[in-house]
Amino acid sequence: MIEDIRAQYVNAVYDTDRQQALQVVQEALGRGMSAEDVMFKVVVPAIEDMIASVEQRHTNLAQHFMASQIAAEVTDMMVPLFAKAPEYIGRIVIGTSVGDFHGLGKRIVSGCLKAQMIEVIDLGLNVSAEKFVDQALAHKAGVIGISSMMVHSARDENAARGVRKILKERNLEAHIRIIVGGAPYNYDEELYKVVQADAWAHDGTAAGPIIARLLREVQP
Amino acid sequence: MMTPLQRLVSTAQGLPTDRIPAFCNVIDQGAAELGLSLREYYSRGEYVAEGQLRLQKKYGHDNLWSLFYVGKEAELLGCRHIIYADNGPPNVGEMIVKNPADIDRLQIPDDILTHAGFAEIRSCLDILGRESAGRFPICAYITSSVTLPAVLMGMEKWFDLLMNGPVELRDAWLEKCSDFFRKEVAAYRRAGATVLIYANPFGSLDFISQKFFDDVTIPWMKRDLEGGTDGIVYYCGGARMNPVIDQVINETGIGTFYLSPLDSVAEGKRIVNGRALCGGVINDIQLIDWTPARVRAEVRQMLADGMPGGRFFFGTIVMPLAVPPDNIRAMIDAVKEFGAGNG
Repeated sequence: MIEDIRAQYVNAVYDTDRQQALQVVQEALGRGMSAEDVMFKVVVPAIEDMIASVEQRHTNLAQHFMASQIAAEVTDMMVPLFAKAPEYIGRIVIGTSVGDFHGLGKRIVSGCLKAQMIEVIDLGLNVSAEKFVDQALAHKAGVIGISSMMVHSARDENAARGVRKILKERNLEAHIRIIVGGAPYNYDEELYKVVQADAWAHDGTAAGPIIARLLREVQP
Repeated sequence: MMTPLQRLVSTAQGLPTDRIPAFCNVIDQGAAELGLSLREYYSRGEYVAEGQLRLQKKYGHDNLWSLFYVGKEAELLGCRHIIYADNGPPNVGEMIVKNPADIDRLQIPDDILTHAGFAEIRSCLDILGRESAGRFPICAYITSSVTLPAVLMGMEKWFDLLMNGPVELRDAWLEKCSDFFRKEVAAYRRAGATVLIYANPFGSLDFISQKFFDDVTIPWMKRDLEGGTDGIVYYCGGARMNPVIDQVINETGIGTFYLSPLDSVAEGKRIVNGRALCGGVINDIQLIDWTPARVRAEVRQMLADGMPGGRFFFGTIVMPLAVPPDNIRAMIDAVKEFGAGNG
């Protein structure tokens, strides 16, 4: 049964059909499937399926956007139905770099992370390096996510490089990792090293497993 | 020796030329040539025109640009807040469409050419036309109907509306954007632009599905282009276009394709198959960190892939300010060296 439900859900997500995806979830609950199974045997595997497809270059931005939006919506519906409170992998603060006002990538990442039980603190647009670090400390986040749509906002001294500088100055590098993403990184796969990030993701859905790994690295 | 415009026209027609055309999208770089901040530079059409002319003399490429920044289209439709940076292009600082009622309220100007917001662009085009005296192709950047809403309401809200509807609102919005495109392209043609970059990231399968492309993008492209495809260049904003080239040729008649750096140039040429002019585009984001020798080698390889069969030119995408001038020179010099004897 689970395989059928998962296949129907995955198809709906690939078709960017939100209504159909939500209907599949409701029908699964109606057939006695637990909210936990809906999350971890249907929704999260659908994201993993999309990540695998990305590597074969068969998906598009619209599918990522809808996959994220649907995953976030289903998560909001399912978590209150869990038998016990979910265990979160960890927490990330996320925002766009200074001078960057493009929030789509950040939104896609956030929706997918929510489904993967990673708490997201959204710092919004045009976030300074200092604010990234201060907010990571305030929220006890293990990862800082910096999204940039433009070359100059990715390479700016007050973007990832600025965050690295502050982490070094405050001796926080063992506790906080930096991940970057956005268009410039897709055109230059070595750029994340230039800006001194620990990792990058080529799209919003792919960010989840990488962020989970970074969180594990910094957990005591 | 051929003029750059003769070179482009002959290449487009598949006729022999001295070398392939070299297009270079140096835009923001003009400010430094005049010793101005980007905000000052973009305040006057005469500055942008002078910047373009100086950059062309400096690097020797084959095109001039009338583009200020992409947000200029939002200003034509009422945006009053542009955010300037010291190290990159200006950004739209105010989304003029925040809710469905704003779509209903938005008025498309009757005549763009005489619109106050077009005055500095027109001034720029007047100067470029006068100074170039028919020697250079003059480029304009015009956003497709399916893509313009992203500039006016933001990508997130546009994706929401595109994917979640309502369809009636989406189509009413697209109709206004298509009307704007048609009036804008007419204004640019009347003002002297000869190369019209049709910016359409939502016409790439990196952005949307084949089904969406068939059902939404193509019909609106056809409407946008009812005034003709003369001078129109298909450009997906750096997203890949090889998978849609055949369909775009067959369904719209567009005759020039400006590939993505992520597209295979050889594959693009194979798909075009002599039916259109094809631009191979260098990854100018990597151009920042390459050495001049690496730049030369990359250009040489691209030209080896693209030149066989003719009807091929060289191009760049965003040309970040951080690209070193030595690399720009190395790039254009390599096009001239390895692009000789086209056709």
